[in-house]
Order: sequence, then structure tokens, then C-alpha cells
Amino acid sequence: MNEKLRDLILTDIAAVLLGLILSGLLMLFLDKNPIQAYSVLFTSVLNDKYTFAEIFVKATPLIFTALAFAFTFKANLFNIGAQGQFYIGAIISVAMSLFLGDSIPRGLALIIIFALTIVGGALWGGLIGLAKARFKANEFLVSMMSTYVALAIMNYLLRTKLLETKMEYPQTDPLNPSVWLPIFIPGTRLHIGFILAVVVAIGIWVLLYKTPIGYRIRVVGMNPDAARLAGISASKLYVIAFMISGGLAAMAGFTEVNGVQHMLVQGFNTDIGPAGLGIAILANANPIGIIFASILFGALKVGGTIMGQMSGIPASIIEIMQGFVMIFVIMSYFVRNEIDVRREKRKLRKVVGQ
Amino acid sequence: MINLLARALMMSTPLLYGSIAEVYAERTGMMVTAIEGIFLMGAWGGFVVTYLTGNLFWGVMTAMLVGVLTAALYGWITVYLKQHQVVTGVAINTLVLGLSAFFMRVIFGIPITPLTIDPLPHIHIPVLSKIPVLGVILFQQNILTYIVYLIIPLSYFVLYKTSVGLIIRSTGENPEAVDVAGLPVERIRFLVVLLAGALGGVAGSFYSIGFLGLFTTNIIGGRGWIAFAICFLGNWNPRGAFFGALIFGLAEAVGIYIQSSGVELLPNELFIALPYILTIVLTVARRSFNVPAKLGIPYKKEN
Repeated sequence: MNEKLRDLILTDIAAVLLGLILSGLLMLFLDKNPIQAYSVLFTSVLNDKYTFAEIFVKATPLIFTALAFAFTFKANLFNIGAQGQFYIGAIISVAMSLFLGDSIPRGLALIIIFALTIVGGALWGGLIGLAKARFKANEFLVSMMSTYVALAIMNYLLRTKLLETKMEYPQTDPLNPSVWLPIFIPGTRLHIGFILAVVVAIGIWVLLYKTPIGYRIRVVGMNPDAARLAGISASKLYVIAFMISGGLAAMAGFTEVNGVQHMLVQGFNTDIGPAGLGIAILANANPIGIIFASILFGALKVGGTIMGQMSGIPASIIEIMQGFVMIFVIMSYFVRNEIDVRREKRKLRKVVGQ
Repeated sequence: MINLLARALMMSTPLLYGSIAEVYAERTGMMVTAIEGIFLMGAWGGFVVTYLTGNLFWGVMTAMLVGVLTAALYGWITVYLKQHQVVTGVAINTLVLGLSAFFMRVIFGIPITPLTIDPLPHIHIPVLSKIPVLGVILFQQNILTYIVYLIIPLSYFVLYKTSVGLIIRSTGENPEAVDVAGLPVERIRFLVVLLAGALGGVAGSFYSIGFLGLFTTNIIGGRGWIAFAICFLGNWNPRGAFFGALIFGLAEAVGIYIQSSGVELLPNELFIALPYILTIVLTVARRSFNVPAKLGIPYKKEN
């Protein structure tokens, strides 16, 4: 195995462990035994098929939001608005699903809904790229703000146009089962959205590393001056990168609405945007790595919920675990860099010594 | 109308603290993207200590302290470990969201009724508060708003008329020169980030103990980011931050006013989203930015 990949994996594992240990120490404040809490967690995850599958259910939207961040990151752009693009995707998915119902066959309906969801997310994201390309607006700021706008739109629709027929809670009517994503492991909630996410991640890897457009995106990210000299139009790529990024985040809306919730509820999945960013960093923005890092974050989510049910530890432990893991992962970049520098020095010394 | 303007000034107070904090930090080249988390910790710390001691002064002091601590973590990772500022900020914001909720539970358990405190009182300044119109708007506010009246001219003076200000500005424009002059670039940046943490902590406490008198984890709801945005839109100077904060405070006050008036001409959500839409529009519309040259770039000494 090459040295850098080995360092990446080892330091990532260390970062995750440190994050879990520190979160565990906090449990002592509630007079809970962290070792017991974690062991209850592991046994219930491993012994129960439903719970185990739940990890992959939770990982699914995270793969999409992490890919959304990673994709623009490769062009040295910051899409902090994946949360908002996810909301837009969820709105379109639920609206189209309610509209189509069982009027057309399931496969066709799902393809139409999926396609429109991507288009919606791509347009929403593309506007951010356009603001950057055309007006030199700070994309980080605009994407951050666009999340709050998307949230307001969703909340507005949930109490007006999309409000359930009972008119009791700010949520939609349940979807007709004919537009649900099929479950592929019976007895669990694991739907084919997970497979879709894995396929999309592989697709994004191919797009980034094996196609001209991906090459251009990476060149713009690594060295914009060189890109300009090579005749690559950065502003066009900004729009394209943000469109793809927005489309990816919107896919999370599709799999959550049609695969898990089967409706749209106010205030659901409020943290998948920031978590996606953490995952992308953990995976060093590599699409394949993102699949595994998302499964880890999915496990943290499921684990946090179980600890709440079994050991009475509040759900905020999930954000704490995610936050600590993210911070240690960021620090691990520093550690890896140090290791790298030392290794280079050793090599040099060897050469000089001879 | 007068009440609305008084309210607007009140709502712009925390944004002013926050955006001045950003102005200082960004002038040295440091974006404080943990500002949302610093606000939240300030709101949390201020509330907890005020509730436990019944003393608003210690509440504000604690807010400042937890703001500094949050900023110290951020500063350590970004200045000394030289890691990416945007990414680090998002990580810290996630962490403190969990920490604030978790320690509410540790300290208060699961309360049956929502915990509340009496917010900072409005102080009527003798004589001045009697001035028609202006008196009500300017001189019937709480202590944090009065302090901010002093902070703006003071910041302007410090940044542009003192050697400290020159050092701060040079650190963001040309850190190599600062280094050659024998000044520690990293320590300057770290200290200014701590200052931003103190100001940001106070800003956060304004939401919990300044007027709402309670704490929830969504109490900040993106206002730290708005303060961040105001610094950009205000072109990295205290005067710009002042006008920016006033505009956003007004937008927020109008939103609250229209929502509470009960008349729904336009959707309430539009007014909730107004500050965010405003930020986007202004970011796009604004052409000439005076960005500090080394904003967001860690300083690496050439060996």
C-alpha cells in the first residue's frame, strides 16, 4: 500500500477513535458509563438486522451531500449550501410524487421524479455558481444564505400548498406506496436509494478522474492561473460545478422523501449538509472514500439514537460525536503533513549521506 | 414607527458586535467562520450563568469567556495548525450545537416548564431619553447597545489612527512585511481571533439574556453568518459594518413587526428570509470589494 494512503487511513481511524473517546468522557457528566453505553450500542447494532440496515439508510443522504461538497471543493469552490439544495430536492420530490400518485407505473414515475429533482437542485445550485462567475460574488456566503431561503420556501409550502388534508401539522399527506423506493432487504428500511448513492459516487469518481470535464474542474481547483493559460474558462466551470453539486444534494431529498419518510415533514434531517462536509473532509474529498465515511457517520447517527433509547443519553451526543470527529479529522491533516515532511527529510538525508 | 426604529436598533446591536469582531479578525487575514458557534456559545453561557446566579453581569462575562474559548479552539487549528478556515468553522459550529444542548441537559435535566430569566433592563438615560423621537430610539436601550455606541468610534480610531491598527491591517495585507519587522504574525492573528471571540460571545448573549430571556439551540439561527456577511458587505471597515448592521436590524424588526401584526399580505416566511435574501442580493450587487489580500490564507514562513 502506498505510504500516503496508509497514513490517511491510520490517522483517520485515530481521529475517529479520539472523537468517540472524548464524546464518551462527556457522558460521565450525566453519570453514564461510556464503556457500557458503547458496548450496548455495538451489541444492538450487530445483533439486530433492522438496526444494522438502518446505518445504511442514514448513510444514503449523507453520501449525496458529501459528494455535493466534495465536487465543488475539487474546483476550490465552497458549496456550504447542500442543506438548502437538499430541501429544494425534497420539495420537488414530494410535490411530484403527490402529483403523480399511482397514475403511471412505478418505474416511470420514479425516473420522472428523480430527473426533475436533479434539475431543480441543479438550477438552485447553478444560480450560486452564476453569482460567482458573473458577479464575482462570494460563493461561500451566497450558498450559506441560500439554505435559509430554501428553508423558508419549504416551511411556507408546508403550511400552504403542500399542507396535509387534515391541516393539523406542517407536513404533507403520505405518498402513495406506488412512488416509494423499493426496499431491497425485507424486514428493514433499507431501500434502493443506497445502491443509487453508491452508483452515483462511483459515477462522480469517473467524472472527476476519467473525463475531460473532471480534469478541467480539478485543474481550475489546483491552479486557476494555469487553467486560464490553458484556455479553460473558469467561470463556465463554476456554473457547471455548482449545478452538479446542487443536483447531487437534491438527490438526497429524493431518497429521503421517496425512500424513508414517504412524506415531507417540517424540520427533518437538519444536519446532513454540515455532516456531509465533515464526511468529505474525512474522505479527503474522494468519492469512493465518501461511501465509507458516510457509513461511519450513519453509524454515529444510529448509535446516538440507540444510546438515547437504551442509556438515556440525549440525542445531542450525535452532534458532539460528529463535531469531535470532524475536528480531529481536520487536525489529522496537520499530523499527516508533519509525517510527510519528516519522511521527505529522512529520504534526503539518506541521499546526502551516501 | 418610533418603536419600530428603536426595535431595529436593538436587533442590530448583536450584529454590530459580531461584524466588528469579524472586521478586526479579517483585517489580519482571519475569517472567523466559527462565528455562528461563538454566538451560540455566548447565548448559552450567558443564559446558564444568569439563570444560576441571577446576575446579568456575570452572564455577560461568561458569554465573553466561552466566546473566547471557542475562538481559541478555532484559532489554534487555523492559525497554528494552518488548517482550512471554512472547514474548521463548520466543524466547530456542529460541535457547539451538540455541546450547548448536551450541557443544558447536564445542568438542568429535563425541565417541566421552559426556563426563563428577566432580560437586561432598558435603561432610560436621564435628560437624553426625553428628547422627542430620538430619545426613545437611541436612549431607551439596554446596556449592551450603549456600549456598542462606544465600540464603533473606538474601533475606527484603533484601526486607522493607532500603531496597533496599522499592525492589524498589515497582517492581513502583507504578513511577510510584518514578519520582517520582527512582529509575530501568528500571535497577532491568534490574539485578534480571541478578541473576536469575546465580542462574538457578547453578541450571542444579547439574544438569550438581552431580550428573549431564554435559550434554545436554534436561538442564533444563522445570525452569526449574517454578522459575517455584514463584514464583507461593509467592506471590512467599522463604518460599513455599522450601516450594514442597521439595515439588517431594520429588516429583522420589520419582519417581526409584520408577523406580529397578524395581517398577512405576504407570507411570513418571506420576512423571516428577508435578511438572508438581502445578503445574497447585496453580495451579488456589490462590485468593488476591498478584500484583505491574505484573507483566509495561513501564514507560512519561508525557511
